[in-house]
Amino acid sequence: MLSPKTDPRVIFLLVIFFSTLGILIRTDVVAMAGLLALSLIFSALLGVQLRRLFGRIKRLMQIMVLVTLMRSFFAPSGIILLALGDVPILTSGGIAMGVLVALRLILFIIGAAMLTVYPARALIQAMVQMKMPYEMAYMVSIGIRFVPQFAQEMQDSLTALQLRGVEVKKLKLRKRLGLYSYLLLPTLVSSLQQAKELAMSMEMRGFRALPQRTSYFTLRLTGLDIAKMVGVLAMAGIVSFVTFNHNFFEMIMSVL
Amino acid sequence: MSGFTVTIKDLRFKYADRYRRSNFELVVDNFTTSGCAAVMGENGSGKTTLGKLVAGILRPAFGCVFYNDADIATLSLGEIGRQVGYLFQEPSRQIFAPKPLEEIAMPLELRGMPKEEANEKAAEMLEKFELSHIKESVTFTLSRGEKQRLAIAAAMVMQPKYFVLDEPTTGLDKARRQILADTLKILQADGMGILLISHDMGFVEMMGATVHQMKGGRFVDA
Repeated sequence: MLSPKTDPRVIFLLVIFFSTLGILIRTDVVAMAGLLALSLIFSALLGVQLRRLFGRIKRLMQIMVLVTLMRSFFAPSGIILLALGDVPILTSGGIAMGVLVALRLILFIIGAAMLTVYPARALIQAMVQMKMPYEMAYMVSIGIRFVPQFAQEMQDSLTALQLRGVEVKKLKLRKRLGLYSYLLLPTLVSSLQQAKELAMSMEMRGFRALPQRTSYFTLRLTGLDIAKMVGVLAMAGIVSFVTFNHNFFEMIMSVL
Repeated sequence: MSGFTVTIKDLRFKYADRYRRSNFELVVDNFTTSGCAAVMGENGSGKTTLGKLVAGILRPAFGCVFYNDADIATLSLGEIGRQVGYLFQEPSRQIFAPKPLEEIAMPLELRGMPKEEANEKAAEMLEKFELSHIKESVTFTLSRGEKQRLAIAAAMVMQPKYFVLDEPTTGLDKARRQILADTLKILQADGMGILLISHDMGFVEMMGATVHQMKGGRFVDA
């Protein structure tokens, strides 16, 4: 079964499967929920700390509620649950679409969390051995490494603003949205400055001095890893068939 | 002497494991300060952690921090910010706006002050901290010293009753350290309390602050 000792390429395949299907499922909330449940089982097997993961998802709840309401408003369908004159505000179809988007977002977070059980070096090596150019693989790993730092910087900026006597929670939505754009700005500038400094530092240490890179650390696919890959592909085929063939259940029922 | 008193009682604070500082623990049994105090000590002794606890940025697992007689556990950061100012060690983290004038005026506007009045106050602060010449510059391209002064000016404009300054003299030249000391002394004379977190003994002496030494998360002079 899957464990952190599994070759990262198997997990890449698994994450590609989850995220691709997450994008392709466009209306079926039940299928998306099923996919999410499946991804949770795999992440538990991989040793992802589910409690911390739920903590992160909890912080996104406000955004999810907002997306749900926006989808209800802009893509109304089904039964009208709340209306202002002739304008539908909340519809059953809209809520379903909102929930679908929220579940999709959670699925992507879980997919990303699955990769975090591996050290950055193993992920880069996996990407390189999958024929991705080293520079790109390295860029991705740097991106992942800086995510917590940027999150901390945004949090610090918000704290600093509140310490100037601004009650963010009491601000009107329009002002609050404007405020968030202010908070993004220092993080964006800081990321550009850090990228520039990091690039200079890497050049100074001879990054890309030679056209070919060799690596002491390499990944080897074992027979078990290949079997797991086949298992993931088979699962992808079955799940896709069940999800997209709407006559599947009718067919099963008729056989029974 | 400031009428604003900060008291810490039976405080225990540990960082969560994710900060990878799980062995560090800040322990303060009883600490009271008003007027101008300085916390000094080697790197990692807990000075910044103490400052953040005093400003309510970090919340202790055990124990309390009081402003006069009010336990700050019941106050939101916004409510704390109406009484206490905080200068971060890295000034870039507390500068949001693209222009210095806007940086100072924006929180005032968010608190309901009319735009013209807020801009007027901001211009006054820029003048006071010798930043008028860069009021139309882009904040993110300012030097560290200019950012430091801008961050201090932005915090000062809120007229806090107490000000926690984490390494305020980093990036300031001798003349500007003197200007900062003079400004802080004027505000102190007006009743503002100050907590300096610093390695700069010269500045601490200039301020005439009561010095408290920290080591390994504890006060060693207590």
